[in-house]
Formats: sequence, C-alpha cells, structure tokens
Amino acid sequence: MRVLIVDDALFIRRTLKMILEQNGYEVVGEAENGLEGILKYKLLQPDLITMDITMPQMDGLTALKAIKKIDPSAKVVMITALGNESTVKETILSGANGFIVKPFVQEQVLRGLSAFK
Amino acid sequence: MDNDDSRVPMSDLFVFETNQMLEQLERLILDGEKSGGLKASINEVFRIMHTIKGSAAMMLFNDISCLAHSIEDVFYYLRENKPLLVDYSELTDLVLQAVDFIKDEVRKVENRESPTGDCSEIRKKSGAFLLTLQVIDPASKDISLKSLDHEELQHDIDEKPVREGQTKWEAVIFFDEDCGMENIRAFTLVHELEELAEDIAFFPKDILENDSTAEMIREAGFKVVFATVNSSARLEEFFAKTMFLKNFQLKKTINLEESIANSVVSDNSKPSSLQEISQRGESKHSFISVNVAKMDMLMDLVGELVIAEAMVTQNPELQGVTLDKFYKSVRQLRKITGELQDTVMSIRMVPLSATFHKMNRIVRDMVRQLDKQAELQIVGEHTEVDKNIIEHISDPLMHLIRNAVDHGIEPAEERIAQGKAAVGKIRLEAKSAGGDVWIVIKDDGGGLHREKILKKALERGLIHQADSLLTDKQVYSFILQPGFSTKDEVTEFSGRGVGMDVVSQNIEKVGGTISVDSVQGEGTTMSIRIPLTLAIIDGMKVKVGNSIYTIPIIAIKESFRLQDQNLITDAEKNEMVMIRGQCYPVLRLHERFNVQQTTTDLREGIMVMVEVDGRSLCLFADSLLGQQQVVVKALPSYIKKIRGIAGCTMLGDGSVSLILDVAGLAY
Repeated sequence: MRVLIVDDALFIRRTLKMILEQNGYEVVGEAENGLEGILKYKLLQPDLITMDITMPQMDGLTALKAIKKIDPSAKVVMITALGNESTVKETILSGANGFIVKPFVQEQVLRGLSAFK
Repeated sequence: MDNDDSRVPMSDLFVFETNQMLEQLERLILDGEKSGGLKASINEVFRIMHTIKGSAAMMLFNDISCLAHSIEDVFYYLRENKPLLVDYSELTDLVLQAVDFIKDEVRKVENRESPTGDCSEIRKKSGAFLLTLQVIDPASKDISLKSLDHEELQHDIDEKPVREGQTKWEAVIFFDEDCGMENIRAFTLVHELEELAEDIAFFPKDILENDSTAEMIREAGFKVVFATVNSSARLEEFFAKTMFLKNFQLKKTINLEESIANSVVSDNSKPSSLQEISQRGESKHSFISVNVAKMDMLMDLVGELVIAEAMVTQNPELQGVTLDKFYKSVRQLRKITGELQDTVMSIRMVPLSATFHKMNRIVRDMVRQLDKQAELQIVGEHTEVDKNIIEHISDPLMHLIRNAVDHGIEPAEERIAQGKAAVGKIRLEAKSAGGDVWIVIKDDGGGLHREKILKKALERGLIHQADSLLTDKQVYSFILQPGFSTKDEVTEFSGRGVGMDVVSQNIEKVGGTISVDSVQGEGTTMSIRIPLTLAIIDGMKVKVGNSIYTIPIIAIKESFRLQDQNLITDAEKNEMVMIRGQCYPVLRLHERFNVQQTTTDLREGIMVMVEVDGRSLCLFADSLLGQQQVVVKALPSYIKKIRGIAGCTMLGDGSVSLILDVAGLAY
C-alpha cells in the first residue's frame, strides 16, 4: 500500500515512516504542510494519506477538504493530538476516513491502518 | 520505538527539532513584546506548542507534553475567542517560563538523562491564566455551539418510523484499548453508518458535546440502533473496516423481512469548498541537518589534504629540478584546495544571531527583577563565526551582558540625576575585521572605578603599592583575575567574583582575547576579539637553529634586519629595538625555547615584529622560510599547556612545527 505522510513535525514523519516501512507499507512521499500535501497527493496518487491537523501555511482540515474535492474516494487518516476533539469532529464531517491519536505506538498505527488493507 | 536502539536517533531528532522550535518561539515572543503584544503570533505559538506536545508525548516525556498542552490550551482560547482583555506581559512571562522548563528538560534528554522536572507549578499558572481569561472576557461564548446543527439532525432521525424493506439492528461496539477519543470514533462510525442506514440512534447520546463519554464507551461499549436495507454481511463488512474496532455484537431488534442485499448509498457528501489558501510571503530555504561529527571529520580531512598538498609540492626531492608544467598543475591544485577549504569553513560558519537573541531574553528578565531600565541594541547579528566558537562564547557573552545590566547600568533615578536618559543602553555589536571577529559590549552605565579596583588589587596582592603608573587598561584588566569583585553585595545574577576569569579563559580557549575599556560615569566597553576560524591559519615559518616555528601571519607587523644604531640595551641587559622613535622589547626565540641557534648575533638573524592587543615585540630568529597555510593541531594531551605555544602543525616534509602564541609570548 502506497502512503503519503503529511505532518509538519519531522519527528512524527520519521516515526511514521519507520513504522510503515518496517511493516510492508510503501511511503511514497512526505509533505510538511497541507498545501504541499495536496500537491503531492495529485502527483503521487497514494492509496492512503496520513494527515496531521495543526500545520503551518495550510492545516490538515483544509487540505483534507481539498483532497476530498479532488477525489471523494481518497483515503485520509488524520493524525491528531488528544484534546483536539472539536477539530477532529469537523474532519470527520469533511470526509476523513478515520484518525489516529498521538501519542501512538507502532501497534496502534498498524491496527488502525489495517482497516484499509 | 520498541527497542532501545532505534530510539536513540529519535531522541536526537526530538532534541534537535524541539530546540529549533523553542528558539523560534522565544524570538516570536520577544519580538512580540517589542512591537506591543503577542497578538500577531498567537497562531504560531499555538502551533509550536502543539507540535512540541505531540513529539514529547511520542517520546513519553509526559511533563513536557502536559505543559505544552496547557499552554496550547491558553493559545487555543486566544485564537478562537479573541478576548479583548488580555494581560500580554503576564502571558509572555508564562510562555517564557514554559519555554525555560522545556529547554531544561530537553537538555536533560540531550545528555541522556531522564527528564524529571516538575511542571505542575507552571501548569497551575497557565490554568489560572486561562480561567481569568474566560471569566473576565465578555465575548466568551460556548465553543460547543458548532455541533448544534448536527444534534438537530439527530432528533429528526429519531422520530422517523421504520420503513418497509428495512431491518432494525442493534450493535454494541468496543474499540481497541488506548486508541483514544472513543467518543469521536463513535461519532465517526455513526457518520459513516449514515451512508448505509437510517434512523440512527445511539447511546451515550452526547458523544459530541461531552468528551467524558469516551470513558463510558471504553467501559461499556457504544450502542447504536439503526434501520437499513443492507444485509448483515454488508454490515459486518462495514464494521470490520472501522478503524480500531475491537469487537462488535450485531443483532436484529425488530424482525422484519430480510430484504434484497442492494446497497443503496445515498448521496451524503457534504459540500466542501477549498478554503482560500493563506500564503504568507515567507521565503523558504532548503536546509539539511548534518551530524557535527561528520563536519568535523570533513574539516580534518581538508586539513590533511592541505598538509598532503604541501608534502607533494614542497617535496625535498623536487628541489633544484625544473618542472614548469608540474608547477602549473600545482597552482591549479592549490587553487582547488583553497576553494574547498573556504567552502568547508563556510559550512561551519553560523551567524551570531541566535546567540545574540538569547541576550535579549537575559536583559529583559534582569531588568524586571532588578527594577532597572535598560534596552539591548543588537548590531551586526549576521556576522558569522565558526560553530565551535559560538559554543564557547555563548556563556561568556551572557556573563558580560549580565554584568552590564547588574553593575553597569545605574537605577533610573540615579541616571536621571546624572543627566542621562532613564533607560540604559547596552549595545551588543559584532563585526569582522581582517581575520578576526570583534564582539563589543558597550553600556552607558557608571563605568569602572579605577580606585576601587586598585584598592582591591592591593588587598589581593596583585600589586604592591597603589601604583599610579599603571595605565587604565592595565588596571581594568585586573577584573579578569579569578575571584576579583569590587561589588560589595552579591545578587542572584552577579557579584560573586566568579565569572570574569572564566569568561576570559573561555575566550582564550578559542584563541580570542578580551579587553576592557571604561570611562567613569560614561560606561564600560568590553571588546572580544576572536579568530574567524580555528583550524587553518596563514603562518610564517621561521627557522631557529634546527627547529622551525610558525608565527600566525595576522600577528606579524613587519620583519627586518637590525642595524647597530637601533639596538638599545638597558642597565638590566634587557635588549630593545628603537624603530621610528618607538622602543620595542626583543625576545630571543632560541633563549625562550632553549634551542641552539646558528647565530646569537642580533644583526645576523632576522627580527619579526609582532603585535597583540596593542603590545608589540620583536622576535629574533635565524631566518624566514616562507609563508604557508598550516593546519592547527592541538598539542597532545600528555603535554601540559605551554605558554607561548598555541599548537603544532605538520610541514610539507613531514616534520612538526610549533605554532607560536604571540599573546602568550607578549605577557
């Protein structure tokens, strides 16, 4: 499965990438903000996007809406911190296919994403 | 993350990224304070805190994460509700405290200790701050209003009767442990179920408004009742595709006809619009972060290359052979190694701005605590110096700035009485001149007291009588001695007399010098001179007997052969040279280093006049051998630090040459 990681924190990108690549996912790209995420989505056409919510320049919610407009069947999993409930609700209403709560451990990510296999 | 091995580089990454963000945060806040309020950067502070929180939580650093969270909460409120009455200076204090705490913790992580600090104090403060905001703010509104429309929708559905062809189902769902936000997951499930089913009702009901329902769902499960035309197989497939779903029980509640397994998917897609993309005109550089060890390695290799180049091109076997084409190639090689060396050095160059901006913070904190008024003026922050040097001068600078505020700047009343502006000025300036970088800290405070210093110097036995022959510069340089403080009381910041000697030691470590200048009543100026880089210098090779010494070119003023009439010998047999009406002491290198020199006659050898700190002296050697770039290597650790020797280097023929430390020779 080809995955695009959108997150402004290099740290989170690395962690996710490590987890995914060690478990049979292919990380086809990384983006640092929502805008870059949209562009890379169009370019790479990944099967799945992990999308941080709070990012500079363009947040994950806006990017999610844009991607869903381009392709309603795009699979977007939000990565969110605890305490962000109201925004997560909005992302769900905007078509997010699920979310993973930070801090996560490897097992959680894999279990969560297994729903998309 | 599971084993320790893979966690080590992650923690490095965490430290690196968090530090960067903290620095950015600090700058934002201090800039905000100058331009009258944090208002403009609320969003950014929120985002930075949010990111720190996320990363820290991933690393299981709970205190950092909790603290960042509580600050984030405050900024979330500020961002969403835009309250009118905000005490920005208190807010600034709060954030700076948090930054300090996190910095400390990160430092512990960096040193491979476990971060054990207790942030509850600051969290209490931030909680109280948020509460005050909410209480005093007239514009405060209920955040949960947003979800109202959805709730209404829910009521509508509840009242609809079960239509024909539909089956009513009841499902109890459990999510995986620690998947988090169970209530939102339940909401997600309901939201997606809307595509398959109608008449959806669920318990607990208030999953959107009440986040504590997460706990209920975790314990008792989430119950959904719905009607659908879809088959049970389709429903099971649906549940299986739900993220983090641990198990579910699905049962029919009212037995109606099992209908055709035809998935009628209603068009539920909400109209979504691509919001206007706010693009700020931030220019973005692309950077890569490189391990410092690799940089040092590269620097070493370039150093070795410079030596190897000299070994080839100045090989003794080439002497006396005509090799025109060879030397043409040599020039090409030298040009390339020179450029390579410049490039490597420029990679290591870091602007002083980050270090300088830290000082803003110090001045700000001290001014508040000491109840003085002072402002820091920063000039030339973009001046670049070697990264190693930055590390060594950061602490000394901090100390000097502290001194300037604490000892230098007078209280406002005193200043006004003296006809000065109430707000003291401290100027922190960096500039490059020649091969050196100068950092000058100048305050317009009370200046140093010559008499007080002399008295103290006498007490400590540094001088034997209150000597009026000493120049001001000499007197002031006493404050660089260990344990020398003329301040009578000790404050939190300074006055213990520990420090100035450490300052000068630190600066000397990187080959720099510090000088003090002061005018009583008008202020003090501290000038630090540091070499641009440590590793490679231009040197002049001089021959003394069988040894070859290297003198840094920067220090050399001129060299000449001595004429009889210029030599003066005083009553104590101290030799001096008189040039253009000035008298310079002579230092015979062969005596100083106890080597056999071919000639001891001053007229037969060569004089090299060197200058450091305004003091000049003439070094006497056999002859000049020529100029060469040399790679400075530290003396091996089993050799004690020798006064007058800065290090050693390897020459083209493989022999070792000692590099003279002119400052060490002059004093």
